[in-house]
Amino acid sequence: MNMRMPSLRALTYRLQRYPEIGALAGFLAVFVGFSIFAEHFLTLGCLSGILTMAAELGIVAVGITFLMISGEFDLSVGSILGVSAMAFALLAKANVHHLAALLIALGLGSLIGLLNGLLVVWTQIPSFIVTLGTMMFWRGVLLAVTGGFPVAYDGYSLLMYALSGRFGGGFHMSAWWFGALVIVLTVVLTQTRYGNGVFATGGGPGAARALGVNVHRVKVVNFILSGLLGGFAGIVQFSRFSSVDPLRGSGIELEAIAAAVIGGTLLSGGYGSIVGTLLGVLMVGMIRSGLVLAGAPAYWYRAFIGVILIIAVIINTKIRGMVAR
Amino acid sequence: MSEERAPLVQMINISKSFGHVRALRNVDFTVGRQEVVGLLGDNGAGKSTLIKILTGLYPPDSGEIYFEGRRILFSSPREARALGIETVYQDLALVELMNISRNFFLGRKPTKRIGFVDLLDVKKMDKVAEQVLSEIGIQIRSPREEVSILSGGERQSISIGRAMHFGMKLLILDEPTSSLSIKEARKVLNYVTEAKRRGLSVIFITHNIYHVYPVADRFTILSHGVKVGDFDKREVSPEEIAELIVGSVAA
Repeated sequence: MNMRMPSLRALTYRLQRYPEIGALAGFLAVFVGFSIFAEHFLTLGCLSGILTMAAELGIVAVGITFLMISGEFDLSVGSILGVSAMAFALLAKANVHHLAALLIALGLGSLIGLLNGLLVVWTQIPSFIVTLGTMMFWRGVLLAVTGGFPVAYDGYSLLMYALSGRFGGGFHMSAWWFGALVIVLTVVLTQTRYGNGVFATGGGPGAARALGVNVHRVKVVNFILSGLLGGFAGIVQFSRFSSVDPLRGSGIELEAIAAAVIGGTLLSGGYGSIVGTLLGVLMVGMIRSGLVLAGAPAYWYRAFIGVILIIAVIINTKIRGMVAR
Repeated sequence: MSEERAPLVQMINISKSFGHVRALRNVDFTVGRQEVVGLLGDNGAGKSTLIKILTGLYPPDSGEIYFEGRRILFSSPREARALGIETVYQDLALVELMNISRNFFLGRKPTKRIGFVDLLDVKKMDKVAEQVLSEIGIQIRSPREEVSILSGGERQSISIGRAMHFGMKLLILDEPTSSLSIKEARKVLNYVTEAKRRGLSVIFITHNIYHVYPVADRFTILSHGVKVGDFDKREVSPEEIAELIVGSVAA
């Protein structure tokens, strides 16, 4: 077997093994760029705002990352976010204990995730279609139940503080939750048999099955995780705003997918990392705040994210193509 | 039938239809202990159907299956695996985007217990994978290398090495050499011989007698779902076998 790799191949090989290097480079470029061109970017207020936004998006995106590595999508996660937030709000208004409300709302998110997973596994219809359907269904239910009106809540509790209370100036507790999720899910993904199964399920379902991985179970569990974390993000967000409208969370599913892909996760499954997604959501957060501070109209935010996303995908797929050749 | 004396695998009078298509008709198939059997036939002869019935992917319509003398009926490949039957499919041998040692231990231990969670022992996985593969003569650059940059022969070799390491009793290879260069195919055949030396039995599925002739002890030929016959290697030449495969197709 040949022992020597040509140097270009060796370089692309290294990049291919750690696509997070690309994400890290992009992250640094965006950070340095805004530090130079956007006044007030390097202030506590701005950075804490970025972190809060990134944490809420990140809680959704790490679940999506697991799911994408196993080769599936969840477009309904924004609707799940809205449903769980609304459920928590309505229960809180009905004087249900907040801990019970939290558990019920999380259970609801997980249940919707379970339903997504079972539909995908049983019908073998692409998850893109299945969750497009459930995205519309649950959003419709949410609008119908509330009549389209937002729900505000004037109470507060220790639990709401623990989820998203302020500390140290402009920071929110949600950053700790996101940080903990990044650590726990990184360990699960890279250091457990389950994580191995997740990679195998997305990278080669046939081989994974032949090697004894229960591919269907992995997918269903990841759909539940995605629903659970979508619901959690909804309750975290509700704790910050003390209100929820029936359109809450719409669009976040695409931002979460974008963040994961920017962080090196493959759209086709089989590869990705939680650390990459962390970099991805931080980049999305920086761009959202930084563009405004740099004097660009806020409308340009999505356009900018779109460009970064396409660049990230080009880099990832081209590098993979070069190695595969 | 005593357990020690019984052949490793005995499939008796197996029939299977898919709708109107009779994929297998009253086929008997035997694999002895430490025996390499070439399972031959043209495309659509019923080779893969027979193997899928053995490994629990399909139930047979009729017939009996014995493994080490005990009657069995697997309902999934996982059950077959638990008893020591490992199947290496041509294109499904390994997961490309994962590294060698993770592939080697996919769905397996070693894990180490930290607190109340089982974590993979990544260092040990790397060490064992490298050691086991080099013991059977498979040189790899690094156990952390992704499978996607390995050649077809290297992938087959790693799958075979894995089956040997995990104490499998029966290794089923589906067209393992048909897409390999001559040099690589020869290497894979060496590993098949090595697997036999270590006590495994091997079913080598192929449509080309020349791929399996050097290593097989016996040949079973299928045609249109019917068994043409069993042939001991000492009794037939590869030309005669090739003739039987082609001839039965023409007939």
